[in-house]
Amino acid sequence: MDVPVQRVVRPRTLDEALVMLAEQPRSRPIAGGTDLMVQLRDGRRSADTLVDLDGLDLAGVHEVDLGVEIGAATTMDAIARHPLVRRRWPALAEAAALVGAWPIQCRATLGGNLANASPAADAVPPLLVADAAVRLASPSGERTIALERFFRGPGTTVMAPGELIVAVLLPAPSAGRVVERFVKVGPRREQIISMVSLAGRAVVSADGTLHDVRVALGAVAPIPVRARRVEAHLEGRRPDAATRREAAARLQADIAPIDDLRAPAAYRRIAAAVLLDRFLEACHG
Amino acid sequence: MARKPRDNEHTCPHGVSRRGFLGSLGAGAVAAATLGRPGETAPPEVADAVEPSKVTLLVNGRRHRLLVEPRWTLLHVLRERLGLTGSKPGCERGECGACTVLIDGVPRYACLTLALEAEGHEVTTIEGLMRGEELGPTQQAFAAEDAFQCGYCTPGQIMAAEGLLRAKPAPTVAEIRLGMSGNLCRCGAYPHIVKAVRRAAEARKGGGR
Repeated sequence: MDVPVQRVVRPRTLDEALVMLAEQPRSRPIAGGTDLMVQLRDGRRSADTLVDLDGLDLAGVHEVDLGVEIGAATTMDAIARHPLVRRRWPALAEAAALVGAWPIQCRATLGGNLANASPAADAVPPLLVADAAVRLASPSGERTIALERFFRGPGTTVMAPGELIVAVLLPAPSAGRVVERFVKVGPRREQIISMVSLAGRAVVSADGTLHDVRVALGAVAPIPVRARRVEAHLEGRRPDAATRREAAARLQADIAPIDDLRAPAAYRRIAAAVLLDRFLEACHG
Repeated sequence: MARKPRDNEHTCPHGVSRRGFLGSLGAGAVAAATLGRPGETAPPEVADAVEPSKVTLLVNGRRHRLLVEPRWTLLHVLRERLGLTGSKPGCERGECGACTVLIDGVPRYACLTLALEAEGHEVTTIEGLMRGEELGPTQQAFAAEDAFQCGYCTPGQIMAAEGLLRAKPAPTVAEIRLGMSGNLCRCGAYPHIVKAVRRAAEARKGGGR
């Protein structure tokens, strides 16, 4: 089945790509294409010109002063296998290994997962608990914004027309004994859009209390969200049974799930509480 | 593996095949039907706006020069322009894996790949696993383990297995299940498919490619 586009251009440099995106009317960047190709066929997104980012040097995990920078074109497979990511941002590595199936992971890019702006995007909750920022480029320059302010709603972001995601910045995680998890619920492990997903990270002190607690969820609101009430409640507490019950109750005010073809809202509320409990159980152990 | 690319100017490399013959009949019938309705208004000029590009695709070790429209998927070009009908259209939305090919040795859904994106890369289809008239080791393993019923998903399964084994020559059963998870088999031949991948891994170890 054809894909309704009229032109595919293949820039060699980032500057060339930015000019093409700015000058070509109704243009869109394409990297892995695992979401975009389907959406173009379905008519959910449209473009006259696709700017193929394949020839640009936008892939790779690079250590920088403050942490790491992951190039926008880095594939989920590369992220899932990267030793530094696995060690310091394990939730991100786990999530990357759960996006679609292996052929999808070999193509789907981190930048694409953000640009697509699905409320269920698996890579996003781990990036939110990592306090990630997104580096955007346009012909007039670059800007970096916190990931938490990047999404507007399902499928939409704060990116201006012609802006391109070039990298995601992950600040170095806090020191100490860190527990970090990514968990998701769906009818099957692979090829599944999450019904609910959750990433959690906490520093566990010697006395068992939790600090710097961060919890983020996917598919329970119009955009992936941080569960701020839960985080505030857990700060400085031991994740015992009473604390966990209270956290699960507070979580319900942090999320606003809907009924859709994948799950009813009521199920999502229960599943989100279960996922939070699994994370806190790991912190308790 | 080290086969030298050969130039190949014509679009159907193997002369007239049964499928090629049937395909040309089909095209003729469509043309006749279109001509047979003079009063009808012309269809919208979507096709006119699309400019074909001259590209060179490297498929199964052969270079093919052809005109490709931007809207064509790699799957379309493989099947309809190059006559390589082993890659199957299934869901055409990246979920079933029937169209799996290798690009630079890595499994890729040809339905999610524009033909223009494949330029400059090495494309391998199920036809490219043949060694002359003989089946390659991964193909042989699927036949030996009876790893299919209707066979429609099989070329994609074999390409996924081939890609997995190139990346991980000795996968565990868990790794096989994960590596093959992007290919659906509605006949449910999964247990035999896992066995076939294990057999293929063994065969390749013993000097197979």
